[in-house]
Amino acid sequence: MSLKIQTPPPHGGKLVDLVIRDTDKAVNMAAGAVGFDIRPTRSAIDGSPIRNVYREVMSIAYGFFSPLEGFMTRNETESVLKERRLLSGWLFPFPIIFDVTEDELRKLNVKEGDRLLLRLKGQPFAILDIEEVWRFDPRDIADRTFGTPEKNPEVVRRRFDEKHPGWLIYRSMGGVALAGKVHVINEPIFKDPYNRFWYPPAKSREEIQRRGWRTVIAHQTRNVPHTGHEHLMKNAAFMGDIEPCHGILVNAIIGAKRLGDFVDEAILEGHEAVSKYGYISPKRHMVTMTLWDMRYGNPLESLLHGIVRQNMGCTHHMFGRDHAAVGDYYDPYSTQILWERGIPSFGLPAPPYDLDKGLKIRPVNIKEFWYCPKCGEIAYSDTCGHADVAQRFSGSFIRGLIAEGIEPPPIIFRPEVYRVIVKWWRVYNYPFVNRRYLELKERELEVDLKPMEVSSRR
Amino acid sequence: MPYKIAVILDKSRIERIRGTPVENEVKDLYGGYLKVIELTVPDEIAQRILKEFPRARIDARGFIEETPVVFKRELFEVIVQLKSTGPEVFSELLKPNRLSRIKEAAAKEDEYLPPPNVAYCG
Repeated sequence: MSLKIQTPPPHGGKLVDLVIRDTDKAVNMAAGAVGFDIRPTRSAIDGSPIRNVYREVMSIAYGFFSPLEGFMTRNETESVLKERRLLSGWLFPFPIIFDVTEDELRKLNVKEGDRLLLRLKGQPFAILDIEEVWRFDPRDIADRTFGTPEKNPEVVRRRFDEKHPGWLIYRSMGGVALAGKVHVINEPIFKDPYNRFWYPPAKSREEIQRRGWRTVIAHQTRNVPHTGHEHLMKNAAFMGDIEPCHGILVNAIIGAKRLGDFVDEAILEGHEAVSKYGYISPKRHMVTMTLWDMRYGNPLESLLHGIVRQNMGCTHHMFGRDHAAVGDYYDPYSTQILWERGIPSFGLPAPPYDLDKGLKIRPVNIKEFWYCPKCGEIAYSDTCGHADVAQRFSGSFIRGLIAEGIEPPPIIFRPEVYRVIVKWWRVYNYPFVNRRYLELKERELEVDLKPMEVSSRR
Repeated sequence: MPYKIAVILDKSRIERIRGTPVENEVKDLYGGYLKVIELTVPDEIAQRILKEFPRARIDARGFIEETPVVFKRELFEVIVQLKSTGPEVFSELLKPNRLSRIKEAAAKEDEYLPPPNVAYCG
């Protein structure tokens, strides 16, 4: 057997493509369907927009979530909650639910077998073929999605609550689910700067091939990169096969985020600046995005990341400390635990790559990089013997520095990356996500839609 | 468990503590690129700060971060006023009048922070 690693197959064996590109066919499919204007999920606590289901429709239809083809039925949701598997048996971490309220259901007056026309920004966008209408308790789904200290003691440290943005998304759902397959019938047009980073799995695989990359390591991000992230990327990429990985694929999660995170535009252009200014050669680096309102589910989120990036054609995935985490709900190394030995209480008795119908992407578990004043350099935590004097990188420390109007020193933040932050700071009068940004983002979204004439009901 | 909070020192802040006992507590960070003062925060004070400022959090290093900018600014002012980094700094900082002034200014910060004056090199 060759030691050389090749591009893995998509999760489930085949990339999902549920985008109708023929306008006549799209119009025919939508004819007579019941219309529904997609609206945001708003926080049950303060009414802020915290999710827009259009992002899930896009991620399903363009194959990021392959082999998932639609919104989950009750049985499929139960299967995911019990053993993190779709009914087909393939691993999948989160319930993907198209929710409405009882009031909306009454007005829609739809049932199994009906077709729903989903409108976005007033234009036809997608159709949902209703296979099942089912009801759920949002709080119960939220608890079971993320786990509890009693039921999942390997990784859950404290009970989830409304301060956790992912838990709050499920908690704020409408309680009625419309399950079924979706098709995008009117392809959205991405706005600047998002259009530069839109590489759905089929296109991403083509681009990887075009660049001649045999091995590609994925980097998950919801952050503007500091040099700790850069060292993570550069060093994790040494893990290839007979040579370091040929490419580093940065994949930013774009969607509603928690207050205080960086704005999406700065995240994308900040990573772009890393290669634009040569800190990582553009020959080895590409920045992409996935539409998803982050659930901040640490090990579970890492499983979704593995699926998405395998579908995009990556051979490896780097995972650091506190991966996709917020607060101290999970053990900071929960993701490493999942990818090293599994989490039996989540129905994952072995790591995802050792399970039947699991993943083929290879994890690269990395602890952290810190500045060591004794070594006089940025060092790996397991290699450097000066833990007592080490100065750790802290995203929140850097955000505090930025908020005070102090330019971070180049050893922790590249000046060109900082200037990207300032560019978007001027646009929004604020460097981070705040309520006004969330409302604006919800109104504008990342896309526009072309007008399409469809004879729908309502 | 005690936590820590760091106040970053730019040139003007360093000037204001020069010649005081606080100057001896200045610490280099990241190879001397940053100067900071680190204060120890007793657990009950830390919990109070987290309660008063819901966005504040303890980071992976055990430092209280993501407090409003005005909170850090006032913290520095109290350090200068008392020429100390001891626990009395927090007693002064969290006095009702001072705290309500900080919270009032912090509420405005959620909407607007003035961008710094640097050129974009895009």
